[in-house]
Amino acid sequence: MAVTTFIQAIVDGTAEEMRRDESIFLFGEDVGVHGGVWGETRGLFHEFGSDRVIDTPISENLIAGLGVGSAMMGMRPIAMIQFADFISLAMDQITQHMAKMRYRSGGGWSCPVLIRTNSGGGVQAGLYHSQENTAWFCHTPGLKVVYPSTAYDAKGLLKAALRQEDPVILFEHKALYRSVKDDIPENDYIVPIGPAAIRREGEDVTLVVWGNMVRSALEASEMMEKEGVSVEVIDFRTLVPIDKETLINSLKKTGRVVIAHEENRTGGFGGELAAILAEEAFDYLDAPIHRVCAPDVPPIPFSIPMEKFHMPNAEKIAKVIRKTVEY
Amino acid sequence: MLNAKQKGEDMMDLNKEDQRRLFYRLLLCRNFDEKMRTLFRQARYAGTFFSCVGQEATTVVPTFLARKEDVVGPQHREIGACFGKGMPTKYIAAQIYARKTSPDKGKSHPCHFGYPELNIITPASTVAAQTVIGTGCALAFKIRKEPRVVLAFTGEGGTSQGSWHEACNFAGVHKLPIVFVCQNNLWAESVHYKFTSAIIDYSDRAKAYGFPGISIDGNDVVAVYEESKKAIERARKGEGPTLIEMKTYRWYGHSEVDPANYRMKEEVEEWKKKDPLPRFEAFLRKNGVLDDKIKAEIEKEVEEEIEAAIKFAEESPLPAPEEALTDVYAGNQTMIYERPKAEKVKPEPIRT
Ligand SMILES: Cc1ncc(C[n+]2csc(CCOP(=O)(O)OP(=O)(O)O)c2C)c(N)n1
Ligand SMILES: [Mg+2]
Repeated sequence: MAVTTFIQAIVDGTAEEMRRDESIFLFGEDVGVHGGVWGETRGLFHEFGSDRVIDTPISENLIAGLGVGSAMMGMRPIAMIQFADFISLAMDQITQHMAKMRYRSGGGWSCPVLIRTNSGGGVQAGLYHSQENTAWFCHTPGLKVVYPSTAYDAKGLLKAALRQEDPVILFEHKALYRSVKDDIPENDYIVPIGPAAIRREGEDVTLVVWGNMVRSALEASEMMEKEGVSVEVIDFRTLVPIDKETLINSLKKTGRVVIAHEENRTGGFGGELAAILAEEAFDYLDAPIHRVCAPDVPPIPFSIPMEKFHMPNAEKIAKVIRKTVEY
Repeated sequence: MLNAKQKGEDMMDLNKEDQRRLFYRLLLCRNFDEKMRTLFRQARYAGTFFSCVGQEATTVVPTFLARKEDVVGPQHREIGACFGKGMPTKYIAAQIYARKTSPDKGKSHPCHFGYPELNIITPASTVAAQTVIGTGCALAFKIRKEPRVVLAFTGEGGTSQGSWHEACNFAGVHKLPIVFVCQNNLWAESVHYKFTSAIIDYSDRAKAYGFPGISIDGNDVVAVYEESKKAIERARKGEGPTLIEMKTYRWYGHSEVDPANYRMKEEVEEWKKKDPLPRFEAFLRKNGVLDDKIKAEIEKEVEEEIEAAIKFAEESPLPAPEEALTDVYAGNQTMIYERPKAEKVKPEPIRT
């Protein structure tokens, strides 16, 4: 076991996979000699060389498309999108080609690309370096979407993504990179894509979160415990495929659900989870499902007071839990 | 008006049999295409059809030169690429008819022909996307040091996409084994290229990417043959990409529902005189490769192949409605996670 940061766990996982499988290679902006603007590829260029760690031009659609073409030819590409904000430039290749390739060829082609992208706010990065646009991808059949909250999961999900046959997008919250650490086992392991993790068991309310919201959720549940409310925290580390079963089983136990995410409310993935529960487990609900999300304004305003106002946090979550419990 | 180089002596490296085979493929493409237009009018299949009549040489010839392991990235009007590469005609027909037996199993589009067995990438509607994907394929070949080449097709309209620029730029930097074929048929749907390009020869654009570009008469089979061959060999030797602009013309509308009344009859008539097929036929006759008897045999064979393909398509079943749910993920997984029976859910508290 070694105490490892979130970012180091991802870098280690990538390196281990690249040693294991020669067909894995990685490309994107500043990922070569520089090792990524966050250090998210540090050391890889020096170990694996310029054939397997490639600095690309500032061409996001190309980055995604290199993934599509090379994956179809049997490679295991890791396409790096420096900021999730700029992934809009790659949307054609991701949504129309990567995600649809299997379908449009009647199963003739596979396209196992791993997209790694940096996302999330709260670090005063402003309107164009703070987004976490998971909803765009959760709405795209053919893609799998993962969003780890721990170093252990980040490494395990990354490894799992490189050992299966579909395109996966891995969101890496920038606030987690260095602030979160885990005891990482020496031996090889994966965290399967799909199952959610119950981070804390509880009786009264189910709280569903992912990414950096997991920390706020645990904080909120500590606060609620002092008030005599027992919160079950589900870390929805894989958004798609959706672990409906864990969600519904938890609701059956608690009868109440709060969903929190950094993205704005309307069209956010929380709405989809709420709809699933309303459709399939309505009888178990003792209170309306509530969401804690960013307001419906462009994400995320820069100036600190507005950024704080914009982002969900433990207090805001606790407030909504109280409302749910009092219903 | 054509700025293209007139060539047409060579093809010496192809034996007579192969020259006839190339003629066969060109005629098959022409006659099959015309037949599909007729069948569309008879409502024998749904959707639409993108005819390539008049511009067969630009797709059939370069792909005829490609090896099996070489990759072809077509756009929407590249049915000829399938004939050039040798995709069985019956599968092309099955695709147009949206049958279960089609390579796409009826899922995509009547004219998005792909065939993994021959490395024809299943295309999409997004013009120029295949140049980006093709660049990804070429990168894989370069990394693995495989002597394989990619032929990526667009119309002249497709070259206005940012993705085309991104692909050419990257392919140039890394000297990737790819040939960019731009079929300039003057029109992108209803818009003439003089309204979307400030240059006459699209090959000029290659300069910006650091690789050679050439503009040729795309209706001259021999010129297309020679320049494609050079470009493919260059790519295979690791010397990098080439952009070939092939000036050509589509005789009919953008698709079968387009009467094309945005253009002048005279223009169409002018271009019909430059029909690539009779020009190639004359060349073959001059060289003693083709005569009336051989031509009649070829025509008969082409006719039989087309009839058999249509029969195959029309007798093939349509997909069952629920087949719409398959091929989304590997192993037919869905967007909902299915927990393996053996998997137990147990709490996983944060470990630090
Ligand atoms: C990105 C994108 N925008 C718009 C369209 C609609 N569209 C289909 S074909 C076409 C014209 C294409 O012209 P060109 O590339 O010259 O090919 P041609 O049809 O002449 O063979 C357009 C605008 C499309 N398919 N893709
Ligand atoms: Mg055109």
